[in-house]
Amino acid sequence: MLQRLRENKSTQGTLLALPTTVWLFILLIIPLFLTLVISFGKRSPDGNVIYTFTLNNYIRLSGYTTDCPDGQATCFDPLYLQILGRSLSLAFNTTALVIIMAYPLAYFIARAHPKQRNMFLFMVLIPLWTNFVIRVYAWMMLLRKEGAINIIIGWIANFLHIPFQPFEMLYTPGAVLVGMVYEFLPFMILPIFTSLEKIDTSLYEAAADLGANSIKTFLRVTLPLSMPGVVAGTILVFIPVMGTFIVSDILGGRQVILVGNLIQRQFLDARDPTFGSAASLILMIMTLIVTYFYTRKFGFGEEIVAA
Amino acid sequence: MSKSNLFKMLALFVIASMALAACGNGAQATEPAADGPKVTSTGFECPAAEFPMEATSTELNIFVWTEYIPPDMIECFELVSGIKVNRDEYSSNEEMYAKVSAGGSNYDLVQPTDYIIALMARQSLLQELDHAKLPVMANFDPNYLDFEFDSGNKYTIPYQAGTDAIVVNTDAVETVPASWADLWNPEYAGRMVFLDDSRAVIGATLLTLGYDVNTTDPAQLEEAKNKLAELVPNVKLFDSDSPKTALIAGDVDLGITWTAEALIAQQENPAIQYVYPTEGAILWQDNWAMLTDAPHTDAAYAWLNYTMQGNIFWMMLRDFPYTNPNKAALDFAKENYADLYDAYMASPITNTPAEAVQNGHRISDVGDATPLYDDIWVEVKGQ
Repeated sequence: MLQRLRENKSTQGTLLALPTTVWLFILLIIPLFLTLVISFGKRSPDGNVIYTFTLNNYIRLSGYTTDCPDGQATCFDPLYLQILGRSLSLAFNTTALVIIMAYPLAYFIARAHPKQRNMFLFMVLIPLWTNFVIRVYAWMMLLRKEGAINIIIGWIANFLHIPFQPFEMLYTPGAVLVGMVYEFLPFMILPIFTSLEKIDTSLYEAAADLGANSIKTFLRVTLPLSMPGVVAGTILVFIPVMGTFIVSDILGGRQVILVGNLIQRQFLDARDPTFGSAASLILMIMTLIVTYFYTRKFGFGEEIVAA
Repeated sequence: MSKSNLFKMLALFVIASMALAACGNGAQATEPAADGPKVTSTGFECPAAEFPMEATSTELNIFVWTEYIPPDMIECFELVSGIKVNRDEYSSNEEMYAKVSAGGSNYDLVQPTDYIIALMARQSLLQELDHAKLPVMANFDPNYLDFEFDSGNKYTIPYQAGTDAIVVNTDAVETVPASWADLWNPEYAGRMVFLDDSRAVIGATLLTLGYDVNTTDPAQLEEAKNKLAELVPNVKLFDSDSPKTALIAGDVDLGITWTAEALIAQQENPAIQYVYPTEGAILWQDNWAMLTDAPHTDAAYAWLNYTMQGNIFWMMLRDFPYTNPNKAALDFAKENYADLYDAYMASPITNTPAEAVQNGHRISDVGDATPLYDDIWVEVKGQ
């Protein structure tokens, strides 16, 4: 029996994959199925799930309602669509900014002397040792009215005898964007670095021999060959940003509701797990659609595996 | 950099962080209780149990609000009873309810606020208390017993009480608000912190309009939504975890907070005042309740009787000064810690004035209308 197993590679593979498969089945497939079932249910007055089949939760998400204030038969209120739209645009903006900031840094690290590279990568990773939420709180200390940034600018202004009003930075959309970009930057730097590092230097020499200047070399050689890293980084950044609400809660002062907040509220304050389940599924489907079109255009980014 | 090097580095991080975590655990190990007087790690000498209870359990699982139980209280109970207390914490009633109603939580005692008690009882999550096993009930001021949310204290006994009202830095504003309606004053735009609590904020709006805080009338709620929509852009931040921080740091100058937050802010900056609005503040009370599937009821009764006795519960005045329903504790403080007692009695924040209580409103569960309130909240914030 053991002998046969030793020879049979495919059985070995199955056995090795078994724990993960069971894990995924119990913690991913079953909950997902439950979410689907609950999303077609109804809320009881006490906030329990009544199992039935109704599309009401999805209709409510779409904005159409028969429960109009002024007595019309149906009316349209794009509230939830706006929330979804806002989350999407925040995710797009964050991802775009992260790419713009991460690429030059990754390029710099990849081109550094191998001995320094370790050092630089180490520095990129150090912040990740600290808990995510604590790092966001640190930004609060920096951004608040009597925070570090305003104090330092105040000193300089005082020194130069310029009148100074402290900037209102904390609890603004800008603060949220800064926090998001900061949190997700390493997840873009690492995959881009990996794909840049793999580029064979003889390709640059060949480009130079053929008369390409440095801009042309970058556009025709470096950028296309590093695209898998950018794609992988985008997936690693975009998907979590879509569902995150901690950063916007802490740095944005909770004035803005993102789709993550909406879902969380349904399971806590509103005690409406049916609507929360429907919103979760829609979020997942939306993320899948965006990722699908993105990867169809740019490939799946093998760097996810490599990174 | 080669991949194997990267892995080595990562492995090193993991080992280093595990070593650090191990150190943390080691430091927390408790020493075995010595004979003689039982003294906590802060040097507090624990009094004996006034109402000793038979308990065979060796553990007690409590699920409580964050920052709400004095460490000395837990340590003394452990030293005197020999029962180990396992504590988990939550920061909203909804969070507690979600965890407890999912079942299998294994908790003995929870600390629900008034409005969620009826709901928990209807869901059969709470067990009726055996008053014969609670001689400590005699310690409470009757004004804090037998409320509508739990008549006859069938399921709960009081812990602490408080209010949600207006807090204002009188040095920073031109006019000090006197009512909920005053919050709409354009002077306050961008200078307010509100609790991130839909029922409290919508409740204040309903009171401004002259409606009941627990209305389920869709027309009144629609009106409140439109009224609140005017105010929300003026709110700089919503924070239910620590609204005092922004107030003390000067990021905001006024807002809606609860008792202890206002008191701590005032201790930091005496210009910060607590205003009971003319339409009436929101009153609340936190309570102890025992879960239906509590595994250690004997330990739970021992805990309630011991921690609520006057010579233990006085320390709430020292550590978490809310409105204290425990008469025995106040009497004990009066005799032994006069300065604490005087400060408590003198402050209108902790010692809520009688007219503010009379004028106040209590939030209750609104059943089917709960999603309506939530929709208002999502809509006014999402605009």
